[in-house]
This record gives sequence, structure tokens and C-alpha cells, in this order.
Amino acid sequence: MFKGLVKWARVKSPWILHMNCGSCNGCDIEILAALIPRLDVERFGVLLKGTPRHADVLVCTGPVTKQMKERLKRVYDQMPEPKFVVVVGQCGSSGGIYQGAYGVEGGIDTVIPVNAYIPGCPPRPDAIADGLIKLLASIDKGGKP
Amino acid sequence: MVCGKGVEGIDILLTLLYLFIFPGFLFLFAFSLFTEYLDRKIYARMQRRVGPPFLQPFADLVKLAAKEDVVPEKAEHFMFTAAPIIGLAAIFAAYLYLPIVSSTGLHSFNGDLVVVLYLLTIPTLALFLGGWYSGNVFGQKGGMRVASLLFSYEIPFFLALLTPALIEGSWKMADIVHFEISHPLEFIVSLLGFVIALIALQGKLERLPFDIPEAETEIVAGPLVEYSGRRLALFRLARDAEMVVGAGLLAVVFLAGPEPIVQLEPVYLSWIVGALVFLVKTLFVIFLLILMKSAVARIRTDQMISFAYKWLIPLALVQIFIAIMVRFLGGI
Ligand code: SF4
Repeated sequence: MFKGLVKWARVKSPWILHMNCGSCNGCDIEILAALIPRLDVERFGVLLKGTPRHADVLVCTGPVTKQMKERLKRVYDQMPEPKFVVVVGQCGSSGGIYQGAYGVEGGIDTVIPVNAYIPGCPPRPDAIADGLIKLLASIDKGGKP
Repeated sequence: MVCGKGVEGIDILLTLLYLFIFPGFLFLFAFSLFTEYLDRKIYARMQRRVGPPFLQPFADLVKLAAKEDVVPEKAEHFMFTAAPIIGLAAIFAAYLYLPIVSSTGLHSFNGDLVVVLYLLTIPTLALFLGGWYSGNVFGQKGGMRVASLLFSYEIPFFLALLTPALIEGSWKMADIVHFEISHPLEFIVSLLGFVIALIALQGKLERLPFDIPEAETEIVAGPLVEYSGRRLALFRLARDAEMVVGAGLLAVVFLAGPEPIVQLEPVYLSWIVGALVFLVKTLFVIFLLILMKSAVARIRTDQMISFAYKWLIPLALVQIFIAIMVRFLGGI
């Protein structure tokens, strides 16, 4: 019963941390647009937090540049367990148009484990919110997605 | 004691009930979470949003409590852990002195008003210590802001809350409540004090426009930067409880708390009525706090300090002068 309560709480209260790993900023603007009053993700308990210590879901954008690789790892390690990673945009999923560029490492999943991908260049704000909700639903269904 | 007459055994049982269930710790816990819900919901409604669901604060709390326990390497382990506990304990202790069900709290003595005021200062210090010992620059910066702003709201808060005590001539909350109910005019005389106390309480709770120590757009989360898991949950709970106790204190000192008491038999019924009256008044104060939060934006540190010293403190002194004059000229 206790486990059920904890899982319910986890699904109901995902606090997100937004991180730009080298994106063109298109995706980041769309993430901020997903947090506006119009979509009101606080309905689902989503709050934007500034520090990795408070966050449950890391929302990353963009291809991981060589400079950003260590920092992304560090931020990921600073988050307390259990943590989830959502990738927003084409670049983060695979490297996108930056694939093979000299300063670019590749998609986010070459550095840290990823739980959900939201494709698009950039994805619409409602698609981002929808991706987050789908992640929550899959956590609800069975542990780690 | 809570109950004057009755068998010893029942006395103890009732005291325990009072301490732990209603209106003790369990009730304070539930009421604090409800207050946070109200806060976020009304805030959201004022921005034309839907706002969080009813159980949201509870879900946040459970989630945080079930998260991994992280103490940063640079943090001082003992103080880092002790700070949230000290803060929460001080608030729970202050809560017990508030007269909730009847005009005397669990224990009422001359000077309990001052004790509650001091106990309400401790969470601020705990926040400062927690930020300072977290070993993070943002945390230390936030802690410094907490400490440097302390006096700008604490002085007007104390001065304003002493007005009713001055008019009545007693430091006992029970006496103040009695006096207020027999002299309703007192509210008008101390209206200025009520407004000042309300603004200062907002500063004390570090809410908009005085959320300078938190300032998530400047210093991430202030003193709470390194806090995670159950320590963060304790801090959040302490903040909500502080809001309840602070609002309850204003309701008691300025709005006569649980009075007018209807004497009913058995005594439980009159307790319930008293608690309901108290709740309505507390919620009214909380509502005013939320309105203030939704209507304003954050101000700078220097603006807040000059506002406090140029306006709040002089006005509080004027209020005290009025109180003394009223008392001198023969009371209300
Ligand atoms: S997916 Fe498109 S919008 Fe997003 S970072 Fe890449 S190029 Fe920019």
C-alpha cells in the first residue's frame, strides 16, 4: 500500500529542470511556452525548478556538445533518485542536423540514459506537455518506462 | 489546563488529544497542506489558470519524503540536517500557545504573546543556518539575504503586534482576546497595526513581494539550493505551518481569535464552535496574504529595507502612540 502511495505521489508531482546542452534555442523557447498559463502544466503538478537537487525530471534540448558533456553528466548525477530524462527536439534525440559536426558528441542518449523522446524541430508546446504526460502515464503503469 | 474540571484520567486523555490530534499536530499538518493548496490555487486562478489539484501539496510531500537522501560533500552534515527540524519544531511549539478552541490555549500565562513572537523568529534563523552550512555559494548568498532582511520586517511586526497588548495592558493572549470581544472598537483603533503586521508577516514568510532570499530568477532557490528529499519536505512543511501560525496569531491578536465563545454543554461543543470561528478568521488573514502575493512583483533588497525603515516602522510607532493616547485618555 505504501508503495502505491509513493508511486501515486511520484506521478502526481514531477518537478522539472530545464537544461540546454547546445541547442539552437528553438526548443528552449518552446519549453518555456509549454509552461505558460494557457497550457497550465501545474494542473498535473509540474513545477519548473532551478536546481537539480529539487528536480525529478530533467528536460534536455539540443545535441550534446563536447564542452557540455561533462556538465550534463554532473547535473544528472546531482539529481536525487528516482530521476527521469526527457529529450525535447530532433537534435537531442539523434544529433539532428548537427550530427557529425566537429564539436558535437551526438544525441543526449550517448551521455545519459533517456526515458522519453519528443520529436520535432522544434516540437509544439502542447506536444512537449503531452510527452511529459505520456512519460508520467508510463511510470504509472510499471516502474521505469 | 484545557479542562478545568473532570477526572484526572480523562484530563490527561483530553490533553493528549489536544496535543496530537485536534487542534494539535495532526490538525496543523493537514491545515498547513490545505493552506498551500489554497495559496497555489488562488494564485493560479488570479492568473487565469486552473491550478493544482486538491491533493497536490500532499503528493509533493510524499514524493520528496520518498526520494534519495543527498547530503552534499561540502555541507556540514549535522547543521544541514538539524536546521529544518529546528524550524519545524519551533513552529509546532508556537502553535500550542495559540488560543484555538477556547480563549486559553493549551497553556496560558502572562507573556505568552512574546514567547510566540520569539518562537516564530526561529524558523528564519534555521533557514539562514541551513543555507549557510549547505556549502553552496547560492545557499550562502540566500542565507545572508535572509539574515540581513530579518530586522527590516521583525521590528515592525513586533511593534504592530504589541499595540493590542498596550491598549489592553497585558501580555497574555487570553486577556487580549477577552478585552477585544468586550470592546469591539479596539479593532478600529488597531487597524493600522493590523495592516502593518500583515505586510511584515508577508516579509517574514518570504513571499512576494519580499521573496528576496528565494529569488529563483537570481539565486536559483536561495538557502534551499542544496536541499533535497525529506529535508526539503520538512522545510516546505515548516513554511506552510509558519503561514498558518502567523495568520492565526494575527487572527488572535487583532480579530479576537476563537471568541465570541458560545457556552454550550457539554464543553466539546463550545470548543468546536470556537475552533470554527478561529478557522474562519485565520483563513481570512491567509486570503489577504495570498491576494497580496498575486498582486505584486518582487522588489530589491535595498528597496525593501528602505520601505521598512521609512514607512513600516514610523507607522508602527504612530500606531503605538495612538494606543498609548487611547489608554491614557481613559480607554475605549
Ligand atoms: S531540434 Fe530544431 S529547434 Fe530544437 S535545437 Fe535542434 S535545430 Fe534547434
